[in-house]
Amino acid sequence: MKIFDTTLTRLEEALDVRLVQHNVLAGNVANADTPGYRPKALDFSQAMAAAEQMFAGEGMASTSARHLGPAGEEPGAASSRASTAATQLIRETPGTSPSIDGNEVDLDRTMAGLAENSLQYGASARAAGKKLAILRYVVSDGGS
Amino acid sequence: MDFLTALRISGAGLGVERTRVNLATSNLANAETTRTAEGGAYKRLDPVIQAVPFPAELGEAQSLGSPPMKAEIAAIVADQTPGRKVYSPGHPDADPEGFVVFPNVNPVHEVVNLMSASRSYEANATAIDTLKTMAQRGLDIAR
Amino acid sequence: MSIERTQMLSPPVGNIGTEHRAPTPTDEGKNVGPGSFAETLGNALQKVDGMQMDADAQAEKVALGGGNLHEMSLALEKADVSMRLAMKVRNKLIDAYQEIMRMNV
Repeated sequence: MKIFDTTLTRLEEALDVRLVQHNVLAGNVANADTPGYRPKALDFSQAMAAAEQMFAGEGMASTSARHLGPAGEEPGAASSRASTAATQLIRETPGTSPSIDGNEVDLDRTMAGLAENSLQYGASARAAGKKLAILRYVVSDGGS
Repeated sequence: MDFLTALRISGAGLGVERTRVNLATSNLANAETTRTAEGGAYKRLDPVIQAVPFPAELGEAQSLGSPPMKAEIAAIVADQTPGRKVYSPGHPDADPEGFVVFPNVNPVHEVVNLMSASRSYEANATAIDTLKTMAQRGLDIAR
Repeated sequence: MSIERTQMLSPPVGNIGTEHRAPTPTDEGKNVGPGSFAETLGNALQKVDGMQMDADAQAEKVALGGGNLHEMSLALEKADVSMRLAMKVRNKLIDAYQEIMRMNV
């Protein structure tokens, strides 16, 4: 039964990676005044590519509890793989505004990054919701 | 890496900035305090902020990357820089030579710290707001 | 969204020839020939059930304070859609069965 296609899977992965990205940026904001702190960054396209590879490597995505994954994983583990893949790609980056105390967080750029990330998250969530709403509409013969 | 983690990171950031604000205002309020319980003039207080890795919630996967860190106040230390001495023999706290030691507080310095901490506090609050919006959108998927 | 979705609604015509009697809803679980309609239906229902369990697990995780909000929403929506589809299929199957039973033979 392939009602849920690859586009939906991509959207799910995007949501997971965007959440990891938020965590990374929030961590930078929280440490904006920590001396010697080097900001962390996550490359979104890289993370999505890694998530896709992880997904493809497992063959069919096992979203069913009856279909045990390679290590007998629990339900819902399929999309948290994207989260894991993204977490592994977080890197320290040389900051863009070094200061006397060694802290290199550029607060303005980070805040802009947070806003953009949130917008993209909302867009992916809206797209996923709409796709599922369309399916629901079709299945219910035009009802709700 | 989920909503709870992000919330805790930003919450910790808020706490750190609030402490900075408190210390700056305390320093400003005591800029002329020549007498303290421990003896001598007031010494300005400095926060020591450090970044701590978040407790591993994803298992070993987290040790491979470079996880986001939260900030916390490691300690509050008194600045040991000697205060300025003013010649004022009539002052009740004057030493035998007639000098009074005033606190090592530079009001300009403290106000700058205050402003910086205030800005960072707002940034953390905005981060939490952003998270709330994202959470709403996530829940909206299920109508 | 693909053609497979509509394939769910009408049984693979070629497979009916491999059985020796008309399939009924009660055949689920019984072995009525390899690649039979009953097997296909059984597998599909297992997947639907799996999605329900998925949704349950996600909801529990959130209820207990952890968990990922968008994962939970997506799991719930998928469970909703797949269950509705399963219900439609069930209704159609029962209609077909009743139609056949009505035939004068």
